[in-house]
Amino acid sequence: MTNLQSETLPPIGDGYTIPAGSRDELLDDAGRPLPHARPLMAALARLGPDALDAAGKRRDAIFMQQGITFEVAGSDGEQRDRAWPLDLVPRVLTSAEWTTIKRGLAQRIRALNAFVDDVYHAHEIVRAGIVPWSLIVSRPSFARPVHGVRAPGGVYCHVCGCDLVRDGGGTWCVLEDNVRTPSGISYVLENRVAMTRLVPELFAGHRVRGVEHYPSLLLDALRSVAPAAESHPTVVLWTPGAMNSAYFEHAFLARQMGVELVEPTDLVVRDAVCYMRTTAGLQRVHTIYRRLDDDFIDPLEFRPDSLLGVPGLVRAYRAGTVAIANAIGTGVADDKAIYCFVPDMIRFYLAEEPILENVPTYLLSDERARKHVLARLDQVVVKPTSESGGKGVFIGPHAGPAERELQARLIEHDPSQFIAQELVHLSTAPTETGGGQLAPRHVDLRPFAVFGEEIRIVPGGLTRVALREGSMIVNSSQGGGSKDTWVLDDGDAVDPAPGTLPAQRPPRLPDVRYGGGWHSQSQQQQQVKSADADSIGRSPGGRAPGGDADPSAPG
Amino acid sequence: MLARIAQELFWLGRDLTRAEHTARILDGAFHADVTGVPGERGITLSWEGVLATIGAKPPAPGEEESAVPAVSPGRIEVARLLTLDTDSPASVVSCVARARERGRTMRDVISTEMWEALNSFYLLLGRYDLQAALQTGPYSFYHEVKERCALFWGLLDRTLLRDEGRAFLEAGGRIEEADMVLRMLRVAIPSSLEEDPSAHETEALALLHAIGGFQAYRRAVRHAPTVAPVVRFLLYDSAYPGSVASSVDALAAALTAADAQPRSSAPVLRLGRLSADLELQRRAPDAGGALQEVLERVQDELEQVDRDIDSRYFAIAALSAVHL
Amino acid sequence: MNFAIRYLTEYDYDADVVDNLNALRVKPHSNGRQRVDEFSVRLTPEVRLHRHSDYFGTEVVEFEVSRPHRHLTIDVRARVSTKESIEPPHSTWESLTDPGYREAGGEFLLQTDDAPGDTRLRELLTTTGAASTPLATVMLVSELIPDHFEYRQGATYVDSDIADLLEAGAGVCQDFVHLGLCLLRHHGIAARYVSGYLFAGGSDDGHESIEVDTHAWLEALLPVGGPDQVSEPVWVGADPTNRVLAGETHVKIGHGRHYADVPPIKGVYRGAATAKLDASVTMTRLERTDPASIARS
Repeated sequence: MTNLQSETLPPIGDGYTIPAGSRDELLDDAGRPLPHARPLMAALARLGPDALDAAGKRRDAIFMQQGITFEVAGSDGEQRDRAWPLDLVPRVLTSAEWTTIKRGLAQRIRALNAFVDDVYHAHEIVRAGIVPWSLIVSRPSFARPVHGVRAPGGVYCHVCGCDLVRDGGGTWCVLEDNVRTPSGISYVLENRVAMTRLVPELFAGHRVRGVEHYPSLLLDALRSVAPAAESHPTVVLWTPGAMNSAYFEHAFLARQMGVELVEPTDLVVRDAVCYMRTTAGLQRVHTIYRRLDDDFIDPLEFRPDSLLGVPGLVRAYRAGTVAIANAIGTGVADDKAIYCFVPDMIRFYLAEEPILENVPTYLLSDERARKHVLARLDQVVVKPTSESGGKGVFIGPHAGPAERELQARLIEHDPSQFIAQELVHLSTAPTETGGGQLAPRHVDLRPFAVFGEEIRIVPGGLTRVALREGSMIVNSSQGGGSKDTWVLDDGDAVDPAPGTLPAQRPPRLPDVRYGGGWHSQSQQQQQVKSADADSIGRSPGGRAPGGDADPSAPG
Repeated sequence: MLARIAQELFWLGRDLTRAEHTARILDGAFHADVTGVPGERGITLSWEGVLATIGAKPPAPGEEESAVPAVSPGRIEVARLLTLDTDSPASVVSCVARARERGRTMRDVISTEMWEALNSFYLLLGRYDLQAALQTGPYSFYHEVKERCALFWGLLDRTLLRDEGRAFLEAGGRIEEADMVLRMLRVAIPSSLEEDPSAHETEALALLHAIGGFQAYRRAVRHAPTVAPVVRFLLYDSAYPGSVASSVDALAAALTAADAQPRSSAPVLRLGRLSADLELQRRAPDAGGALQEVLERVQDELEQVDRDIDSRYFAIAALSAVHL
Repeated sequence: MNFAIRYLTEYDYDADVVDNLNALRVKPHSNGRQRVDEFSVRLTPEVRLHRHSDYFGTEVVEFEVSRPHRHLTIDVRARVSTKESIEPPHSTWESLTDPGYREAGGEFLLQTDDAPGDTRLRELLTTTGAASTPLATVMLVSELIPDHFEYRQGATYVDSDIADLLEAGAGVCQDFVHLGLCLLRHHGIAARYVSGYLFAGGSDDGHESIEVDTHAWLEALLPVGGPDQVSEPVWVGADPTNRVLAGETHVKIGHGRHYADVPPIKGVYRGAATAKLDASVTMTRLERTDPASIARS
């Protein structure tokens, strides 16, 4: 990959073989860069494997120094901090493609939000015979304590992150919805900063849409849902504590938004109003962005053994004195068994056709579907309905006979705990696999949306990549990495002169001064001498920094 | 103390602060250039703007040639010119070299720890491979500069006697800081501020990041970081140590400490008026369009303060120097 | 029958506690067979009460004592009049598969606590499933459970599940109900947990006060008539502690899927103190009525 030209780009390496059934995000089947990826691939070629490898080493050092790490269980079961695995080859999306994704996500989130409202109020979708009530009430995340409670502004799913994949035919599908406490946005922002520092030359030739305004979007949304006509609502971010695996993100977002990062003992409910304890006494809290599950929110209403909760918070929420984001009970909408119904929800609530498709999914509590799936266990993916983070996922084609038999028994024992999905051949993207060499690895995409007065989505999102060859498990807890996701501005428009920004004529500024006049002369002599003495090879004072050399200097 | 020594200390502070802020501006511009989508009327951190800020103007028709070699203001060229180019007096390395030279002649005045910090800073820069730094992204270089400067000021705080010399050193640092922030703001913000609350956030963020006040801004100000609130924060908010108002106050305090008769000191009196004026402006309702004028007026005042300092404290030294 | 109920709870803490928050589910339910004439909650220290009706329709009284205190008294008084239950319907097993019945049963058809593979449970399932009608099964369940399990306080805990009961071979009314629910739901009969007060007086003298406890029984949903009939199914109360169907001595507070949906008192406080609890329920019959189905607790 040393002789790349901008027009005729050869395959990036003989070893680059896109797995059968998948398509690549940046290259065509012959291994040539797709039009929107040409400047990037050319820049990668100019950079060369050695520089890419070196940048990777600097990345790990910087991430460790900044504490951008995550915990992995080692082979001995010990939890260890590892530098956040960022692959330095970005994933590139065209502006047209992003527009489709964005519209599809916004549509989906509106429908999910309407569903949550419906589930806890009118039950219209149940009465219309679309979603069975027994399915809803059997979801562990169906939150009875908030039945009949309307969230401020009618918004429940303030922060959403849907997992998208591109299948072998090039179609975008939603693999999972996440409307509880999706995490990963901090890595989107940190990835971008790291990329500009580590491999700035890759950005040459592309205009990449910014992502750094996410905290502002989030803060605006959280303020907009604050109860009552509060002109200066107080927003807090509630973390379960420093032991939580996403604590880095909690602290990151609190810092970026300039809001307090609170732990349960910081909050107290008095007379159905939530306060935080400050040095100046109790201070009213209007919006809580909580990063822990419903179960732990309020020991009076949910798990009584929860030490993380704030007793009485549900009462305050019910009284409408505090907004909670995401609202309590949203988990019923992203349950994997409910997922099957999302396209119908879109039709039912919005009277629109879904823009993004679902992966074909089977509810195993249905007897016919179960028989169909059990006969084809070697071809499908089976997921527990109430797990997340890739836990308990069974991938048929990768499983041996013993695993298949075990899975079949688990399904037979309690079919309602599982769904089955057709295997999607996740798309691949060139990924650095050591020594600066690129190979195709499977990727997904988790864009992040914020729902306040309207739905806003930051361009791109977190691209997760399965670092093991052939693997389709992208979760970072299971050996997945991440990529910076570029959404190009104005399609694949290429800036012919990288590094020049159009600018207005700067105003006339006073001249810059350089020390006292008499001194610069004596300094010049000293510097020449000292430069020799220190054998720096260059003379820092070779040109007189003041005096006659600089017409602006006094003296 | 000797007027000559006082002036050297004053300029040591200025040179070192200039090095730090040049690194900050470059880092911010670099980040904005790589990621930013240039706004039409937003805050711009263009390479031309960076050159203008630091007073290294690219040649324009009709102007006589300046000390700076003619370059087309591209990322690589500007970064080279202002970072490690020993031929350019505006470069970070030149600033540090000057500061280190001044320190070397005053090893008896500054503490040993401070001298060593300066010297090792200078030696470190000599070892930097510019080409590699630019290739791999100059972030780590700018980071290093900021840390080394912070080390120097931290050592000053811990080791230097609170006397007149220290006051001049600090005064130099603070006047330079105020000046650099004003320059950055004047170059970066659009000449007419028709504030659209949703616009220009990316650019305003880049500016905040460059000056280093993002986190402080978030905690202190409720508004989204758009142009007007960001500029007002950096100009007026005396709770933020990097603001112009903070620097003006600190400068006044340093000169008051250094002067036997501060009540008759022209620079101290002028700074008192400037500080009061800034406070008045801060309380005034948001006069968006007038920010450019305020910036210009404040900078003019500071230039006058600079001249006042020269004539009150260093004039004798300068005069004798001319006669040498 | 008319009852006066007094439910007195006293907490003594051995050190100051603050932010003592409690949710009470103690108010008798109002429905066709039961009327609440008076209800009051008095607290020491005195604080404001918040009331709302929960998902299952039970009235919840919540309060918080935020200032430091060492003593908390919750004094609940109610006057209730009850009527005898209606005659339970004799429906067929087939009628349980009717979609209307399944819909009415809703979440009460779903297991919340199960002990798959337990041989004792399997035996009970076989026996109770052999009854001729769903009603017969309900009655069999309330008779078999006290036959097989000893009523013994301390054998189980407040959050015990049926596996604990099966293993201990003994438990209290709450455990008996949980097991009953499991059996009925296995047979496709919708069933729910009922919390309430039971007047277990042995005499028919008027104005008689007796010390009781809060009690638990169950309600099973039974279709009315055969599969062709369209009348609404009805909830029939059965008390698997006392081998009877619920009658006018059963004063219902509310129902849920299981105990955790209707706990009489649930509270948390902050402070490094241990609490000493003293609770008593006194039920007084206010006037003489004919001897009714008399049960013992």
